[in-house]
Amino acid sequence: MRGSRALPLASSRPLLRPRLRTALVAYLFLAPALVLLGVFTFAPLVFGTLLAFADYNILRPPRWVGLENFRILLEDPAFWVALRNSLRYLAVVPAIQLVALLLALLVNRRLAGITLFRAAYYVPVITSFAVAGLMWNWMYAQHGVMNWVGLRLGLLPRPFDWLNHPTLALYAVMLVTFWKGIGYYMVLYLAGLQALPQELLEAARVDGAGRFRTFLSVTLPMLRPTLLLCTLLSTLAAVKVFEEVYVMTGGGPFGQTTTALLYVYQKAFQEFRFGLAAAAGLFVAVIGLVLSLLHVRIFREGGLRPW
Amino acid sequence: MRRAVGVVIALFLLAASVRAGTPGISLEFWTISLRPFFTNYITELIRTYEGQNPGVRVHWVDQPVGAVVQKLLSSLAAGAPPDVVNLNVPMAAELAQQEGLLALDGLLRPEDRTRYFEGMLGSFRIGGRIYGLPWYVAPPVVAYNGEIWRRAGLDPDRPPRTTDELITYAKRIKDHTGLYGFMPNVNGTNLLQRFQEAGLPILEDRRAVFNSPRHVQELEKWVRLFRQDYFPEDTLRRGYLGATELYTAGELGMLITGPQFLLRVRHENRAVYDRTRVGPYPLDRGRVIHAPLMGLSIPRTTRRPQEAVRFALYVTDDRNQLAFCRIVTIFPTARAAARDPFFSRLPPNPTPEDHARTLSARQLPLARDLTVVVPHQGELMKAFRDNIEAAFFGHKTPKQALDDAVRRWNARL
Repeated sequence: MRGSRALPLASSRPLLRPRLRTALVAYLFLAPALVLLGVFTFAPLVFGTLLAFADYNILRPPRWVGLENFRILLEDPAFWVALRNSLRYLAVVPAIQLVALLLALLVNRRLAGITLFRAAYYVPVITSFAVAGLMWNWMYAQHGVMNWVGLRLGLLPRPFDWLNHPTLALYAVMLVTFWKGIGYYMVLYLAGLQALPQELLEAARVDGAGRFRTFLSVTLPMLRPTLLLCTLLSTLAAVKVFEEVYVMTGGGPFGQTTTALLYVYQKAFQEFRFGLAAAAGLFVAVIGLVLSLLHVRIFREGGLRPW
Repeated sequence: MRRAVGVVIALFLLAASVRAGTPGISLEFWTISLRPFFTNYITELIRTYEGQNPGVRVHWVDQPVGAVVQKLLSSLAAGAPPDVVNLNVPMAAELAQQEGLLALDGLLRPEDRTRYFEGMLGSFRIGGRIYGLPWYVAPPVVAYNGEIWRRAGLDPDRPPRTTDELITYAKRIKDHTGLYGFMPNVNGTNLLQRFQEAGLPILEDRRAVFNSPRHVQELEKWVRLFRQDYFPEDTLRRGYLGATELYTAGELGMLITGPQFLLRVRHENRAVYDRTRVGPYPLDRGRVIHAPLMGLSIPRTTRRPQEAVRFALYVTDDRNQLAFCRIVTIFPTARAAARDPFFSRLPPNPTPEDHARTLSARQLPLARDLTVVVPHQGELMKAFRDNIEAAFFGHKTPKQALDDAVRRWNARL
């Protein structure tokens, strides 16, 4: 009789081994992020790398040209000027880190209204570059407030257009990057400072260490992970600087403020040489990678040991 | 229950068949920076077209001037371009060279071509083929601040007639008032147009020739004025936008610009607008005036080229051009529209814009878009711009700058 037949017992062995099952579940959870990363990061990375070896104007299919784009790049003086400017931009890194750290120490106090200061320092970070660029454009203009102040203080012989000065323009833009970035790094340092165990700071004080000694011997070494993060982010941002230069000078006068990524943009979107732009982009990526490795190495080997 | 499902399916099929039966045509139309001042004009234009062409829907998108080329490129690469797009001559030239635009020669009837001034349609002839229909043109005028002129001892009833006179006036204003007299259009690649206005050639037999002694002399003239501080440094970086701002602030003696920018002066500083007088654009030896031209182009991969051309012809027809010119001081590219008495008669109590309109209309026969179109447009224009800036800032002599630019051009031409 069909009804009396016993159902086969479920197998006592699981379908998948527990470790495999755990891994599968983990990958299932990771899948949405992996798909997004694959489509929007890894695929463009591979495509961009391949483009560096092709002649491509976005509208026609790419044509393989081997190392031709790299030859053009290496022979283009404008590319070397752009690269030099990007490396000069690294000067912002120590300045911004030092000031951000000092500000973080200042606002890491229990004072009435301190939140207002923290917010005020952070406002430039959330201001768009289009707005900030326009504002600084007016300030740097020949009839702008920078010249007015400089003239009143007797620091300038005559008013001039800061963003059109062949030597000063790049530094003027760097100042804007500095102004806009301080708040961001200040918040990161503030988070790092607030995570420090208070017992260690108290112990140092009990042992007779002054504020300066406590900072050098306890705070700074313990902030090393935050320092690594901040200097790394800041270095990469400096090498990849684009928006402020694009908005404020467009790379002029005569290419003196063109940075590596602006060069990439000009080749791609103004000259329609996407292959050449990809080759230049690859160059910048390699520089960024080398600087990142250097950073990690310095901090891991204790480049900033306590004094 | 079954009956209800059946009714729903039947209704769905009916709706689908009705939808399929309508010859629905959707066109996407891109303009450059026409919102918000001209929103009413464009929406009314589209509404009328849709009324005259049942089943056609036009979707209007206004793009900022600095992003339109990049956005068009992206949309072309993505296979979803607009059907009709507003471009100026340099933009159309660059995109046509990259094979992004449709050549219109085979889609235009003879009477469509003769509708426009030949020179203006010719500005969109790139490599021998037509890549755009001229829409409107804005020949420049000289707007000047009557009060600053009086302080400089100049007669506001006697505007400059030649480039040399313009320079003399600008020097006098600077020397007598301390304010700058003008911000000449010598930034970027504008000197290529200035050379032509001075009667000097740019290309001969597909070779760059803009380094003759006369070209060098012309560049030296502007470099000297710059070094002597007769025009502000901002001129080289900010061009006409910087000039309009300074003039609007009452800090500039003369504004050399398309008359449509008087609208901005009126909106932002009524006092300066009330002191503004307008004179004709001073002529140089070439007796030609560079007038930036706007046109309508059709992207190469549009799915509806015939309908797109029909819409572009409608937007640029006599009636619609004239209606546009009545709300802003621009000029038609269509011959019949340009003959309208609106451009030759002053109304009672004329405004600076009314004066600008009649003055520019008189100079319209001399106006042409003098944009130089060369292969590798972006690269060669950048080479020219960089060399000219190097000359202004003393990093190269004018001769050296022009020689270098010509060498670079001829290596790529």
